[in-house]
Amino acid sequence: MSTAVFAPSPLEARIRVLLPWLLLGVLALLPTAGLTPNIIRLLFITFVWVTTSLGWNLLGGLTGQVSFGFAVFYGLGAYTAALMIDRGVNPYLSFLAAGLIPALASVFIGLPTFRLRGPYFAIATIGVSEATRVIMNNLAITGGASGFRIMEHRLFRQVEHYYTALGMAALAVAASLLIMHSKFGMGLKAIKQDEDAAADLGVNPYAYKLTIHAVAAAFTGIAGGVFARYAAFIYPQGVFAFQTSVYILLMPVIGGIGTVWGAVLGGVVFGIVEEQLVANFPQIHLLLYGALLILIILLEPDGLAGMLGKLFRRLRRPKRKNGNADPGSREADEVFRGAGSS
Amino acid sequence: MPEQHIYGFIGPNGAGKTTLFSMIAGALQPSAGHIRSRGKDVTGSPPYSLVKSGIARTHQIVCPFRAMTVLENVQVASHFGRKSITRTAAACDYARQVLARVGLAHRADALAANISLGDQKRLELARALATDPELLLCDEICGGLSPTETRTMLDLLRRIRQQGTTIMYVEHDVKAIMAVCDRVMVLNYGQKLAEGNPYEIQNDPSVIEAYLGKAGSQKKGRVA
Repeated sequence: MSTAVFAPSPLEARIRVLLPWLLLGVLALLPTAGLTPNIIRLLFITFVWVTTSLGWNLLGGLTGQVSFGFAVFYGLGAYTAALMIDRGVNPYLSFLAAGLIPALASVFIGLPTFRLRGPYFAIATIGVSEATRVIMNNLAITGGASGFRIMEHRLFRQVEHYYTALGMAALAVAASLLIMHSKFGMGLKAIKQDEDAAADLGVNPYAYKLTIHAVAAAFTGIAGGVFARYAAFIYPQGVFAFQTSVYILLMPVIGGIGTVWGAVLGGVVFGIVEEQLVANFPQIHLLLYGALLILIILLEPDGLAGMLGKLFRRLRRPKRKNGNADPGSREADEVFRGAGSS
Repeated sequence: MPEQHIYGFIGPNGAGKTTLFSMIAGALQPSAGHIRSRGKDVTGSPPYSLVKSGIARTHQIVCPFRAMTVLENVQVASHFGRKSITRTAAACDYARQVLARVGLAHRADALAANISLGDQKRLELARALATDPELLLCDEICGGLSPTETRTMLDLLRRIRQQGTTIMYVEHDVKAIMAVCDRVMVLNYGQKLAEGNPYEIQNDPSVIEAYLGKAGSQKKGRVA
């Protein structure tokens, strides 16, 4: 059985190219439509989540290295931006630094942890993440466990935050698409499948993993910085929490691991669901995530994107009945079941 | 080791053929001794840098990127081999050419997990070829293939050699080795037992003894 060779018609191909731009246009015009500040805040948070989701997806989805330590980059980005903005540095310059510092940190974390594979790597990242949280809890310059309040000597304009976050998310989408369809991305996909075989064909797995780890960390860090500026108050138990790492990992898994639009979808769904869950079920919202995760892995390892894809294909060919069992993308299989075997 | 030859390695199970290959290709480190390629010491170089200096291998147990298509598998090698093609379209074109060379062009869009073992062996060869090697290490490329498939594969090896690539070839099937190799080395317990052209090897008393001395190796012994 070959892959369902999906040859879109010219019209469809054009729609595919236009759709993201259309979406961006609509989102750019939304604030002028007189939305309530609450909705704009929700959208802002969603853009932040989408960016972290895309970041994690580059390492976890594309390269198959499941990390439970992305809160480190999110937190470092948040604190970097917070400290700089508080000292009067231009916020956008601060965001740049909020990308660079986590990227640097990712190299130091990656150098030892990428010697490990599969679940061993995942466990090591938990250790690094927890250690960072404890350090930040006790660091005097950031206010330790009691958190850090940012005094920005500028007028707070919610729309500016909105556009910053939108721009950031759009950039993350563009970068992800670019990476996925490049030679670099091809090497990463090969590493995900079989590291040793990739090395036999000329890919340097260690260097490639370190590089994509840094790119992923940079995006996650910038997201943390953008969030910190908006929140104006951050504390280690929030941004460095293990829970944050789990959230960041959960989004691409819900949306569809290894695909750009799956990661975006996951971020959007998570951003909205998170809001409702926390508001309505503050006690059990983590339990619900657990249940959701188990359901997704059991029923649809390709996530929501995979589900939509199937639905779409079924609508396109209504005549063919049960015969076309969908083979799925196998992307998810690799991460969920394959990670342990290497 | 002469260039532009097909150099065969045979030997009983556990003789060290695959281990020798793994050391040359950089997957294992020799505990003693050196590996030299064209006068350059390459001992301990990792596989990905050996690929860049023109040494590629195929595996006895095939290891395709299962979730990728056949074409994508070869595309990876075109990107990261000695050709080091950056543009995706160019890498695809080159990959298609290589697939045509090994007779796998018709399966280009199939998932590597879904093709037959014979085709997976060809894919293994295509990937190694796409790195544009000067020295190709083939580890039991015909293992598990039917006689017809074996014959096509051997023809393929001859053609690759004609195009200027040196081949080191390990196989259990002595008949295949004798048919295709210019020179043969026999290994036993990690030691060189004999070396020479196929005719010399077939009549070497120590080789016959090594094979016939083992229970369960009668078939091979008869051929040798």
